[in-house]
Amino acid sequence: MRLSRMRICGTAVGLLGVVTVAACGSGGGGGSQSGQLASQQVLHFPTYQPPGTWDPGEADAEVDTEISQNVFDNLWRFDNNLNIVPDIATTVPSTSNGGISSDGLTYTIKLNPNAKFNNGDALKCSDVLYSWSRSVDLQGPYASNLSAIAGYAAAQSAAGAPPASSSGPGAASTFQGNIEAQLAKQVPAGSGSFVPSGLSCSDPETFVVKLASGCGWCLTAWTLEGSTGAIVDEKAIQSDPVTWWQKPVTPGCTDCMVGAGAYYLASYDSKVGFKFKSVSNWWGSPKPTLTEIDIDVHDPSAIAGDLTAWEQGHYDLIGYGGNSGNLTYPQIQSVKGSRFSSELLTQPKGRTTWVSFNIGYPSTGGPFLGESAAAKGLRMAFDLAVDKQGLASTVCHNVQCQAATGGLITKGLIGYLGDNQDPLAKFDPTQAKSLLKQYDPNGTLTANLKYSYNAGGLNDPVAAYLQNEWQQNLGVHVTLDPSSDASAFINNRLSGKYVMSRDGWQFDYNHPQDWFDNLWGYKATAAGANTSGFDDPTYDSILKQADAEPLSQALPLYNQLSKILSTDVVYIPLYYSVGNFVIASYVKGAGSNTAFDYYWDNISILSH
Amino acid sequence: MTRGTLVYIVQRAVLIAFTVLVVSFGVFYVVHSLPGNAFISDRLHGRALQLLLHQYGLDQPIIIQYWNWLKGAIHGDLGISLVTRGAAVTPIVMQELSVSAMVGGAALVFTVGLGLLFGVLAAIRQNTWVDYLFTTFAVIGYSVPSFVIGSLGILVFAQWLNTVTSGAVYYPLPWQGTYGGGGISTLISISLPAISIGLYTSGQITRITRASMLEVTQQDYIRTARAKGLRARVITIRHALRNALVPVMSIMPSTVLGILTGVLVIENIYGIPGLGKEFVESIFTHDYNLTVGVFTIYTVLIGVANLAVDLLYAVVDPRIRY
Repeated sequence: MRLSRMRICGTAVGLLGVVTVAACGSGGGGGSQSGQLASQQVLHFPTYQPPGTWDPGEADAEVDTEISQNVFDNLWRFDNNLNIVPDIATTVPSTSNGGISSDGLTYTIKLNPNAKFNNGDALKCSDVLYSWSRSVDLQGPYASNLSAIAGYAAAQSAAGAPPASSSGPGAASTFQGNIEAQLAKQVPAGSGSFVPSGLSCSDPETFVVKLASGCGWCLTAWTLEGSTGAIVDEKAIQSDPVTWWQKPVTPGCTDCMVGAGAYYLASYDSKVGFKFKSVSNWWGSPKPTLTEIDIDVHDPSAIAGDLTAWEQGHYDLIGYGGNSGNLTYPQIQSVKGSRFSSELLTQPKGRTTWVSFNIGYPSTGGPFLGESAAAKGLRMAFDLAVDKQGLASTVCHNVQCQAATGGLITKGLIGYLGDNQDPLAKFDPTQAKSLLKQYDPNGTLTANLKYSYNAGGLNDPVAAYLQNEWQQNLGVHVTLDPSSDASAFINNRLSGKYVMSRDGWQFDYNHPQDWFDNLWGYKATAAGANTSGFDDPTYDSILKQADAEPLSQALPLYNQLSKILSTDVVYIPLYYSVGNFVIASYVKGAGSNTAFDYYWDNISILSH
Repeated sequence: MTRGTLVYIVQRAVLIAFTVLVVSFGVFYVVHSLPGNAFISDRLHGRALQLLLHQYGLDQPIIIQYWNWLKGAIHGDLGISLVTRGAAVTPIVMQELSVSAMVGGAALVFTVGLGLLFGVLAAIRQNTWVDYLFTTFAVIGYSVPSFVIGSLGILVFAQWLNTVTSGAVYYPLPWQGTYGGGGISTLISISLPAISIGLYTSGQITRITRASMLEVTQQDYIRTARAKGLRARVITIRHALRNALVPVMSIMPSTVLGILTGVLVIENIYGIPGLGKEFVESIFTHDYNLTVGVFTIYTVLIGVANLAVDLLYAVVDPRIRY
């Protein structure tokens, strides 16, 4: 009996020792650094969504472009402060350097003669001509970034709608296969129905772009990383135009993910993870220090375990790859309260969330429909009844979001009106109640209202908060209408099947046009994206003028558009999103701005 | 194998094929009829969306789409994913099947092993504390649903233990299947999901084994064996248990079904990247071919598992002939 007790005690002490040793030896992130580079330059992090597509012509999601921006280069790139700097092009064109003609319609772009694809193929003007023509023909979600180029619509019309892809990837009968077949003939010839007439090469290193009309936002849109302006290698796409982007690069490969960036795809399993390796003797700068990037694909529910794994040094960072919104408030607080607090990076991201009113869809609209004084008054009542600062502190604890008080365009971006400058950001329950009494004295118009949203994340607590605010400050009960199917929710919202709905926009590039073209007015209506249905001739006329002007002249016009939206009470501003990263202190150069994660070629691992 | 058995297998195979056809069409029709699709987003709508739907043949009548899918499925091609665009579904499903099989297999071993052991021990120690202990275990086992056990497991191992040991010892969630390095870590990782799935059915097996063993041990041939001076262990294992297994076998089809459906629930609780998790995710993301592919594989698995159990009857009980 005594022996057994001794054994038990011994075992317990042993276990305690193991646990203590394990606990003491587990902190990878908090170790000290000597400033010297580590011998292993491998960055390891998780992502929480398998890739949709990394094909720049078809890419849609941030989780995809955050990765593919390191493989595909554009003619220009955004630096960490969102300034446009040369990449494959030697300069940023302007009227002063002769890159843009005096009428603003012709761009002459000199290409870096040293530029190469990461399989060693030389990158010439014909590759740029091919890449941009292909993006136009594919008519993907960001094709409109090239829409100001002369011949854009004609090329899309030629690419048209070929037979559906029923005979498998790579077949010539597929949509993509048809485009490849046509471009293979037309790009060497320099013209053809699939090549927009505004694109040409004056010599192998000079790309010329002619616009159909003035465009103050084009350069910014063409620079958008991982998207339609990125340069791809025709030879790597032709034999498998559908799934080429999933195929690792091997010597001499003809269907693989080849770009001109500092990294290439070394292994790929959409459900497990992928590896990227640095291109040796890469032509661009800064030269990559990291030799390998290992990305694990996890379920979002894994983030708690991943956070522990990061604390134990298994991961170098969490939040990269478009995942900066995944850490929950308790997790953020737990990092803040630990010895890793200095390794938490909180960064405002370029996303605004608001409530849209159904203004322009009579068949489904409610009391907020149209431009009558009553409709506007009721919209204003529901706006003033919401305490936006209260929402940011109650729902986001001022950590996961900030109150949207400076207009729709997120703080830090061009077009931001300034703190507390948006009249719709006010909270005035007294005036809200008075407006409600004036325009709906019997409560008949505002009975049976619904607030529609897609369930999950912050959307549920935000909806509950709004419901409470309207009940408390207006005495109006609004039924919550959550949708667990985001796709069905977006479908309904785009077609105006709602009365009040959660709405939002994540900016693509730092230009107000990205917001005002895509969300309201004639352009959004034509694209089937005008969720609130708001459109009026004044807005459209100012929008047309603003889009054509250089930014300095366009900005006051865009501000006028902001004013129209607030005067007409088109939305209820809610919050600006904030991203949260944990980055081990030995990871130098990693971080994020409002738009994207800093490129992998900025990062190095210090010895730790 | 007798001619009758062969005929029986062929008949059942035809029935399985017919069931797969009906089920796959039903699922295909339902998922394609749901509002929304895999592509739509704040940026992807209007003409670009219509074009993409056209590219993937999703603007064709459902019956044509099903026919195209079926032609491929017969050749082992379950189509392409709409979420990871262009990726072949068959390798994805096969990879996830291997993960689910590992979890389900572990649960089956746990269920049968523990259930038989506890049932036999409870029977041979009838009305002792051993009997009461295992009978109580059985009652608790089949009274508590697997998702409750799963959630409790997460609470204890991932939350409490993680907090107590400051992250030094924690349950690695979610289990990454075979991708987590294999070996002992996989075995540790797999145990909790397997127990969560198997506890319910192991409770059932414990009770049935106990009742069956008690009945068999009263039989004359067991008394004879004892009179001949055979050792208790030999009597229990060789003579009593074999006959006591027949009623246990009768609940095996429902056990296997329970485990297959249990995997579906547990994979989602533990974030295990298997068929069950994919099934739920693919419905929410409208990845039609994956949903239909996973459902079809499930149908085949259930059909084959039922057939295998029916054939096992004949092995355990020689009186059964096909």
